[in-house]
Amino acid sequence: MNEPATACEFVAEPPADLASPEFSSLYAENNRAIYYLALRFLGDPQKAEDATHDVFLKAFRKLDQFRGEASMRTWLYRIAINHCQNLCRSWHDRHVFSNVDDAVWENAAAKTDSPLRVLETKELGQRIQKALDGLSDEYRLLLLLVADAELSYEQVGALVGQSPDAVRGKLHRARKAFAALFEKTA
Amino acid sequence: MKHQSKLSEEQQSRQVGTEQQTQQPAAREFANAEEMLRYDAAHTTVPPVIAQRLQKSTGELPQPKAAWWKRWFGGSNS
Repeated sequence: MNEPATACEFVAEPPADLASPEFSSLYAENNRAIYYLALRFLGDPQKAEDATHDVFLKAFRKLDQFRGEASMRTWLYRIAINHCQNLCRSWHDRHVFSNVDDAVWENAAAKTDSPLRVLETKELGQRIQKALDGLSDEYRLLLLLVADAELSYEQVGALVGQSPDAVRGKLHRARKAFAALFEKTA
Repeated sequence: MKHQSKLSEEQQSRQVGTEQQTQQPAAREFANAEEMLRYDAAHTTVPPVIAQRLQKSTGELPQPKAAWWKRWFGGSNS
């Protein structure tokens, strides 16, 4: 699989004139979060690029429908999650996938309270992707959303249709499953 | 507040990472999966072609209206 560039020396700068100043700042503030979610949820840089473009284009078209009840970030995440899940559903229709049983990984994780240690960060992206690919969509999405420091558990819960307490409980199990899978990628 | 606890968790693991770095520069520790994903996200480059494609796509569309609540309450971008 093609791995995206992970060098920190270059950060994409959006063009200053992205249709409107409001939309330009919307893109500048959220493009990394949306691209990263799409990249790690879909597991393919090209699909993530297309998805990010489509999500922001939808947002541009629906900007007048944004009600200001949620943050812009949350609103964009909702569009992105729907978009990515629809893409996954259409792939599932065409391909046969084995069912991922998270419980296997939750139980297999013996040292999950230990920190995750990596000797070489160069391959980190590939190892993370492999571990995420082994999780269910639910756990993968949960970890990706909780990783965004701008989102509270309440906001994550609203995005995944769960209570904050349920998010905390599932997060614990998702961490265990991820740790077990990540260890296997070494 | 949960937001704060998530951040303090990150700060703690950063400290661990810093201590680790002084002993063995190549190794890095993450307190949990989210911490690792956060690091990965920060080091992931967003392809600039997305902004270029958006510039083209949105250029072909009419300008969006400001959100209804902004129009109602006199938002500056309307």
